[in-house]
Amino acid sequence: MPGHCRRITSVLLGWGALALASSLTGCVEAAPQDAIEAVENIDRDLMELRAAEFSPNDYAQFAHQWMALKSRVQADEDLIRWPWEPNDLEIALRLLQEEGSHTVARLAKERESLRHSAENKIAQVEGRFRMMTLQVSAIDSRLVLGQKPVETDLLMKQAHAFYEQGQYDRSLDASDRAAQNLATQAVLLSNELGRYANRDRISHWQQMAKDTIAWSRIHRTSAIVVSKADRVLTLYRNGQKVLSYPVRLGFNGIREKRYQGDGATPEGRYQISSKRGQGQTQYYRALVLDYPNEEDRRRYRLERKTGEIPASRAIGGQIEIHGVENELMAQTLGCIMLDNSQMALLFDRVNKGTPVTIVGALHEQNSVAQTLAMLGVQREET
Amino acid sequence: MNTRSTILAVMCALLMLTACAKPPTEQILAAEKAVTEAQQSGASTYVADEYAKVEGTLAALKKEVSDQDGKLALFRDYGKAEQLATTAKSEAERVKAGATKKKEEAKAAAVQAQQVAQEAVTATLALVAKAPTGKDRAALESIKADAEALKASLNQVQMAIDTADYPAAQTKAKAIQEKSQAVSREIETALAKIGKGKPSAAKKT
Repeated sequence: MPGHCRRITSVLLGWGALALASSLTGCVEAAPQDAIEAVENIDRDLMELRAAEFSPNDYAQFAHQWMALKSRVQADEDLIRWPWEPNDLEIALRLLQEEGSHTVARLAKERESLRHSAENKIAQVEGRFRMMTLQVSAIDSRLVLGQKPVETDLLMKQAHAFYEQGQYDRSLDASDRAAQNLATQAVLLSNELGRYANRDRISHWQQMAKDTIAWSRIHRTSAIVVSKADRVLTLYRNGQKVLSYPVRLGFNGIREKRYQGDGATPEGRYQISSKRGQGQTQYYRALVLDYPNEEDRRRYRLERKTGEIPASRAIGGQIEIHGVENELMAQTLGCIMLDNSQMALLFDRVNKGTPVTIVGALHEQNSVAQTLAMLGVQREET
Repeated sequence: MNTRSTILAVMCALLMLTACAKPPTEQILAAEKAVTEAQQSGASTYVADEYAKVEGTLAALKKEVSDQDGKLALFRDYGKAEQLATTAKSEAERVKAGATKKKEEAKAAAVQAQQVAQEAVTATLALVAKAPTGKDRAALESIKADAEALKASLNQVQMAIDTADYPAAQTKAKAIQEKSQAVSREIETALAKIGKGKPSAAKKT
């Protein structure tokens, strides 16, 4: 009897142990908390990288897998598993964690690379913009560019703003557009001022200057040659150089004069038509030129006819070589301006009828040609 | 006999119930509609990560329905699909609300920046108009060109607002405001300098 009881007890204990073991192993979590948290952390990392904005396909792929697994995690039937069942959910979570980690690492690298590109592009375009501004200012050709410099400036400000916001792709886009704008400016300058780099045109200007100097020698009198690119006025007497003074031109002086109010300084052969001494001019002393000459009128008529000059625009006049009324004046409306002391010396050495030849440039390596060459090189580099 | 009949009847009833399990079509359509509306509200731009998750839930829902459809009619259970459809719909509605709020905030910020930029440009143009005519005006010509360029740039802000590109509108407006203020300072400096000299009469050239 006691032996029988012991057998019953041991059978009961065996069944109890089996039941306990089964319940313990059977209640194993199908989705371990640490695996879920690891994927949640990956999601957080991707959100911090703004993956959904910058690499939507990558994030969508992750999100789709994550949401599919999340729905399984939340479903009751997947919460527990039998010990003999493979834990597909955990395997899938671990796999997503691994793939997600790779995606985070790759996107972080790509993002840093994009940030670096945006930073470099800003520095590159800004450097070029600064250089162009200085060059353009040095040859007084700001107005040739119209609204372009402001457009470039605004684009660069936008590039900075997007960079600060971490929107590196948009920052790059704004910098690219600014670079294109700078290229357009270089083309505008080249189209408008290309004659300063044109050998035939320079030869023509050189010939004009030679003729004027020869005239001075033959007639044993004075003659003036003004080079716009160099901003220099030279007085000749009997074919010999007597003096040379720096001059200031119109606010749009580097251009060829076409009509009244354009701020350009004319190019051509002129004469002093009258001398205005103290009390006769607001500009200390003035030598009035006979602009427009016949060539100016012919060109004006042609451009009016072709519509290149609006009908409301007159040809203009009263182009003078004059002194300074206000020491703060940097430019004129198209005249040639000298410092008063130099104007006084010049005024006394010329007469009514003295030829004044105004040319764009007298040598190929003039400041405008050099600027155009430099901007052309930069355009190729950017 | 009676007991047998009862068991058979219960089994038949159970079989009919399970065999007639159908996908929650209405809930699925409602979820899809909510996701589409969220997308149309700009969710993919303004709450991109949350929207991607909603799309993920919708994809999980479709897969679940497809999985159940692939089973024998007797074993089909669309309970999980129903739950996913409910989640997708409610999440899509929440995401839509969030996107709409963010979009409105971005629009308000862009419009405000536009107004500030407009005021700055108006002030700059007023300063340009004060500039003296005649010879002294020459120095202000390039500044005037800048002011005109700023005025023209305001159109780009409006265009960006019209196309709902509020970040571009805001950054452009702020750039215009900054540049406008810089140009105004330049004009004031130029005017102050000119003021020291005597004004001159207009002259044709």
